[in-house]
Amino acid sequence: MPIIIWQLVFFVFPLIFLVVISFWLVKNYRMVPGLDTVNWTKMYSKGYFWDTYWRTLAYAMIATITTTILAFPCSFALAFKVSATLRRWALFFLIVPFFTSYLVRIYSWQIFLNDNGIFNRLFQYIGLGPFQLLNNFFGTLVGYLTLCLPLVVVLQLISLANVDRNLIEAAHNLGCGRLKTVFLVIVPLAKIGIILGAVFTFILSFGDFVSPYYLGGSKPPTLSILIIDTTKSGQQWPRAAVVAVTMIVTLLVIMFASVSAAYRKKP
Amino acid sequence: MPNTSQARPLVSFEGVTKHYGTVAAVHAMDLDIFTGEFLALMGPSGCGKTTSLRMLAGLEEPTEGEIRLDGRRINEINSADRDTPMVWQSLALFPFLNVRQNVEFGLKMRKISPRDRQERAMRWLDRLEIADLAERDISQLSGGQRQRVALARSLVTEPRILLLDEPLSALDANLVVKMQGVLARLQKELGITFVYVTHSQSEAFAMSDRVVIMSQGRIEQIGSPKTIYRNPTSRFVADFVGSNNIFSGTISKEGATLQVNTPVGCFSCSPANDGNLFKTGSTLSMVVSADLVQISLTSPETANKVRCRFISEEFVGSIVTVFAELENGADFKVQVRQRDLADLGLKAGTVFYASWKATDVHLISESA
Amino acid sequence: MTRLSGQNLLLRGYVVLVFVFVFTPIVTSFVFSVNSDRFPTIPLGHFTTHWYETIFSDPDIWEAFRVSALVSISVAILATFIGFCTAYTDYRYNFTGKALYLSLALLPPTIPLVIMGLAMLALLARINMSGQIHSIVVSHVVLCAPFAMAVIRMRLAQINPDLEPAAWNLGASPWRAMREVIIPFCRPAIASAFCLTAAVSFDEFAVAWFVSGLNKTVPVMILEILQGNTDPQINAIGSIVFAISMSLVVIAQLIFFRKTSAPTTTGI
Repeated sequence: MPIIIWQLVFFVFPLIFLVVISFWLVKNYRMVPGLDTVNWTKMYSKGYFWDTYWRTLAYAMIATITTTILAFPCSFALAFKVSATLRRWALFFLIVPFFTSYLVRIYSWQIFLNDNGIFNRLFQYIGLGPFQLLNNFFGTLVGYLTLCLPLVVVLQLISLANVDRNLIEAAHNLGCGRLKTVFLVIVPLAKIGIILGAVFTFILSFGDFVSPYYLGGSKPPTLSILIIDTTKSGQQWPRAAVVAVTMIVTLLVIMFASVSAAYRKKP
Repeated sequence: MPNTSQARPLVSFEGVTKHYGTVAAVHAMDLDIFTGEFLALMGPSGCGKTTSLRMLAGLEEPTEGEIRLDGRRINEINSADRDTPMVWQSLALFPFLNVRQNVEFGLKMRKISPRDRQERAMRWLDRLEIADLAERDISQLSGGQRQRVALARSLVTEPRILLLDEPLSALDANLVVKMQGVLARLQKELGITFVYVTHSQSEAFAMSDRVVIMSQGRIEQIGSPKTIYRNPTSRFVADFVGSNNIFSGTISKEGATLQVNTPVGCFSCSPANDGNLFKTGSTLSMVVSADLVQISLTSPETANKVRCRFISEEFVGSIVTVFAELENGADFKVQVRQRDLADLGLKAGTVFYASWKATDVHLISESA
Repeated sequence: MTRLSGQNLLLRGYVVLVFVFVFTPIVTSFVFSVNSDRFPTIPLGHFTTHWYETIFSDPDIWEAFRVSALVSISVAILATFIGFCTAYTDYRYNFTGKALYLSLALLPPTIPLVIMGLAMLALLARINMSGQIHSIVVSHVVLCAPFAMAVIRMRLAQINPDLEPAAWNLGASPWRAMREVIIPFCRPAIASAFCLTAAVSFDEFAVAWFVSGLNKTVPVMILEILQGNTDPQINAIGSIVFAISMSLVVIAQLIFFRKTSAPTTTGI
């Protein structure tokens, strides 16, 4: 079937190639094939590489947790507290922004978060601020939320909407308070959607460069920014490849662990 | 009733086996199907009837054995190239085509010209009395109308054999009876072979010339509805078809009138089949059909009788099935007319006598 | 019916808040694209179409839109085709290694775009294929095909499984059956997938930036402008981009949900 060929050639092969070139050398701004681990040793020995690695990991973790928690009341409300028609429309409108330009949306946020931006002007009016909302982690986080929130709400919503209402009523019937039911009954039942949403958030925020670059001030850098910098200056593609491969491995491990956790049957 | 002693059957299964993994859905099946007959394949779920039908249609391939159509082996022939149209349980009407286009489909595949196609399709729609629905959307039709479209679609290519996979299972009860009439009449008019899969005894018996009872991938018995009903050749068939009381017993005296010893008593039997086949000491199943039993409150003069305790009754109209318990705790069924039962005034726990004639007993030897 | 308790009100208010958060950047773009001030902030200036006029007279921008349109449509065609084949294979066949085949087909969206961009560029540069329009097309198809596959697979899940065998039974060869039964049935999903993949490709910038060289798509152009400083033109361009992609996605959803039976398997 054609797809397997296409995927192999244009997807698997480039990635394998990436691994391959991580062993190559750069002479005179051109890549030379070879089998040298110098790129790896150089990269891994640099302090700033590991700083960046753990920082990116932390950013992604925070983004994941924040997004999951912020999305939940919304998806919960949409699953249980609104009519089916309203729910469909909500889903409809949540899907739309996901497919629109992330870049332009981030730019728009700059307008809001700027020192002279809308938020600070509003704060000025009521005598507060100005607050540093841009060029720091707060900005980056806003960016991550913009990227992931719609998707997470949708994924959580699908899982929550499929929860058997009878089980919830049974819990109430057996004396479980409403709030407790949410955490003891509903969340475990919607486990898959919640975890899937978290996994996607992690993947997207781990690899994103737009938010940290445009809203976070790009310093200190994330791994993705590192790749771009390494490529732009000096054409150090092999080094960039090292970073990329490290990222992929990390992601695969996290994905595998989460999906197993999501689908594992309780003992 | 078609001549089943024709020189050559239209379809024959020779030693056909179908494995799914380690499970044998059909096991070494031999069956001849003759031109012009209405044959029913009947049995409980998982007996292999649908698998057999699908193998005939070419949707599954036998693991072993041969299927022949007109003497020619068709195992490897594609479904598309056989002429074995099927009426599906889900009807499988194409939702994006209207009624006429659905019916024309088979002709379109045979590259018949649009004008001829339309003419032939309309002829069949007319025959099934749905010509006025020709341009309608499938979704606008009732269950019965959809049935007819499915039938027209399969018959428009004028095949020699039509396969039907429980086509009436989705219909309302009153529609089922009506459609049964339509199918039976159609088959007689066209004179083609119908192979009909069902798990419903009433459907099979109402329409077919011959019935094949299957269980666990094997054929238990083949015969006309009446034969199977009155003369089951195995315990399974006796249990599955009709309403029968079955006793295990041994022969204590052989001859024209046998004496059979059972856990609930000794009974005389003068079976229609050759009583000389049964020798003293051989074990067998004694079958007493529920509708051949008489009930009385006092002990009758007949030789064959048992004492029963009334448990409950099942009222299905003019006939009532009485469920009772024998002295050893075994179940016993009697079918009586509602009118006769009312006269007796039976209540839970009432003791009564059930009796039957020695000639109304059917015997099945244990080896069957 | 839901009782309007304080709790429910709070939750509904939260939903509104989330929607405001999600749509604010989009609305802002539209608002400020017709605002006269160079630096977008409050209070607003007066209404003007000046920025739109500026970008419509810029040939580079027209070129970028032309490239974007070309790329999106090519990608949509190819990705929908591949997505269809994958979805059908998943629907019809069961074979060893199917899990592997599926994971391969669905993996692309999980790899960060930056990495994909780098990998694509490295490979294509090596074989002298980068910097052309077809390099972008190729990379995007890999990215977009999973979306097409998902949409079409959802539609296939609704089909009566007897329809295809019924067609065979009536004399259709497997290819004929696919043409006469599967494709007509999937038509809304195919149209939907087309719009969706076009939208994804249209907005995708990371990989495009790596791979496009001098043939810029619109997002790449935006990226470059952004490298500079705040430029009000971006709002105008952004608004147009939003309008295009949102229309595509809205159309995609409308086609899919109007023309197909409402899925009753989910609680939605």
